[in-house]
Amino acid sequence: METTIPSTKAHVTRDRLLAAVAVGVFLVFLWYADNHFSAYSIRILNNIAIFIILAASYNLINGVTGQFSLEPNAFVAVGAYTSAILTLSPQEKLASFIIEPMVWPLSVISVSFPVSLLAAGLVTAVMALLMAVPVFRVRGDYLAIVTLGFGEVIQVVANNIVSVTNGPLGLKGLTPHTNLWWSWGICIVTIFCIVRLVNSSYGRAMKAVREDETAAQAMGIDAFRIKTLAFTFSAFFEGVAGGLLAHLITTISPTLFTFLLTFHLLIIIVVGGLGSTTGAVIAAAVFTFGSEFLRVVEEPFSLYGFDYAGIPGMRMVILSMMLVVVMLFARRGIMGRSEFSWQWLFETAARVRRRIRSD
Amino acid sequence: MKRRVLLVVMALLVFCAPAWASEPVNLGVYLPMTGNVAAYGQMAWSGITIAHKMEREVLGRPVDLKLVDTKSDKVESANAVSRLIEREKVVAIIGEMISGNTMAGSDHAERRKIPMVSPTATNPIVTQNKKYIFRVCFIDPDQGRIAAKLADQELKAKTAALIYDISQDYCVALAKFFKNEFAKTGGKIVAETKFKTGDRDFTPQLSAILAAKPDIVYAPIYYTEGALIARQAREMGLDVPILAGDGVQAPELIKIGGKSVEGVYFTAHFHKEMIANERGKKFLEAYEKETGKSLDAFAAMGADAYFITVDAIRRAGSTDSTKIRDALASTKDFEGVTGKITLKDDGNAIKAMVVNRVKDGEFVYVTTINP
Repeated sequence: METTIPSTKAHVTRDRLLAAVAVGVFLVFLWYADNHFSAYSIRILNNIAIFIILAASYNLINGVTGQFSLEPNAFVAVGAYTSAILTLSPQEKLASFIIEPMVWPLSVISVSFPVSLLAAGLVTAVMALLMAVPVFRVRGDYLAIVTLGFGEVIQVVANNIVSVTNGPLGLKGLTPHTNLWWSWGICIVTIFCIVRLVNSSYGRAMKAVREDETAAQAMGIDAFRIKTLAFTFSAFFEGVAGGLLAHLITTISPTLFTFLLTFHLLIIIVVGGLGSTTGAVIAAAVFTFGSEFLRVVEEPFSLYGFDYAGIPGMRMVILSMMLVVVMLFARRGIMGRSEFSWQWLFETAARVRRRIRSD
Repeated sequence: MKRRVLLVVMALLVFCAPAWASEPVNLGVYLPMTGNVAAYGQMAWSGITIAHKMEREVLGRPVDLKLVDTKSDKVESANAVSRLIEREKVVAIIGEMISGNTMAGSDHAERRKIPMVSPTATNPIVTQNKKYIFRVCFIDPDQGRIAAKLADQELKAKTAALIYDISQDYCVALAKFFKNEFAKTGGKIVAETKFKTGDRDFTPQLSAILAAKPDIVYAPIYYTEGALIARQAREMGLDVPILAGDGVQAPELIKIGGKSVEGVYFTAHFHKEMIANERGKKFLEAYEKETGKSLDAFAAMGADAYFITVDAIRRAGSTDSTKIRDALASTKDFEGVTGKITLKDDGNAIKAMVVNRVKDGEFVYVTTINP
């Protein structure tokens, strides 16, 4: 699990090949799941993909660049609203805007799903770009407070511009476009882009800013530019994920994007290991799958006279206990700052083989 | 060998234990049992379980309730409905309490053609363009309209001021339809003020209302804010009648509001004293005996959702979801705990509304307004 691996050209080719094979195998699994799994399992798989996108991109700004920002609920909201408003049919808009009719150009626009996702990403990224100027004037705790405020502002705006967002009534009747191919396709692209970025010179600059901003600046890194880059990059994918989420649950309203969403993502990336994309992916998958899987502990069952009534909220207790255990025994999260690499896999395999042989 | 036989027998016993009774009818329930509106879900659940105890069987088969928690969240609501349909194989679903969550859950139910009955989702767009989604409550526009009539005819108001929560769909819709209807009766809205859930100081809004000198204040809001606004209004010398919606119907209103909420009128789904039919009386008795608490609106609505669904299954004569849907849509003058309920083909309910008032620290029943 070493962070720097002396990589030769052969290693690089081998790793690329293996990655391609892994993606191929995964696509075959998706095809199988799409045809054989129940709608319930598919929905959970979609949820996992969306939360992986969110966690991995949030980790870029919070973990890799080390800027403690609390904005994802705002960006997800912007993305979700943008894409939802763009795909809703004019008839649906006419029917569900009962407080105030929708403003003219938006009320007749209806574009295809991929275009709306792209628009969601771009609008969110532009927003992040504009926000970066005031936001990165402050550091540390102050940054957290400023970004937290931004999340609140977006919610208030969504509640108040009724002729665009339908206010607190929310939007409904979206076509459920999000399927396994869209969610996991975008998920794979996101991970690919983020890993490439983190391993580029920009990524190293981001890590330098995380370790010591002043020192990084002394070394000639334009900290503001690097932070803005990370911020915008993660905003783009958070916006796209927002669009996917909106088209998965087919209805959105401001209450969906409260601070709790940010908090949930923050827990995921901290448990996964701040700064580790692998960790973010693992933790997002474990949390999303776990909270559905653990529903069994809330169900009543009886075994020979012993009745267990099922306590709602029990799975949250178990998840919280898991959180405590992880924080006690692995203070830096599941992965720390390490990433998955094929080299590590081979070395572990070799070590296991050696141990078996020596027994 | 002996041990293996023993193991097999034990395993068989474990698996067969629940399969003695005849095949149950699975009824799904998805409610906010945890999260920020957990109180609503828990109250409704207590009503549903007691209703279940009263009517355990349908078509000669036991009814099996499958409860799934939504954490008061949209993503979880959608997951919950999917789980109920695909894993628990339910024939019909009861839930959710909050309109936004019901909309999140309803899409999947509609596509899988599983009928859903919500106890309290009052947002008018919940059942819009949906064939399988029903509710046993009246919708927000109706409540806003009735409140306007009440203001005009009972309180003889010519002018009204509005104060409502901009972040709650319920409050916004009530205010909007009150405004429209009040204008039709020739009344005038002299001030319209807004706030956001969580606000604690309402001086700016109340000053604007005080300056406009309205005959009444219409406050379609929830109980916490309702109590605080009443307190602050009385302190500022604003002593015109306050008219509210069913959001204030919680003991906390009186606990927080004390003397200042005396005389507050509100339209509501339910008051204990309105119960007139056999089923309602039996339920009230069973509820108070079982829980030791006074029956609240959420429990009563939850019970009605259960009774109506079971009645529809009985009339459908089968557990086929399309037949249950048609039976639900033809529900007429059903004697529920909260009065006579008729379900229309569009999924909405026609039912009477009650007017309550705070008097001597208690909610007293004033009158029933028929549809």
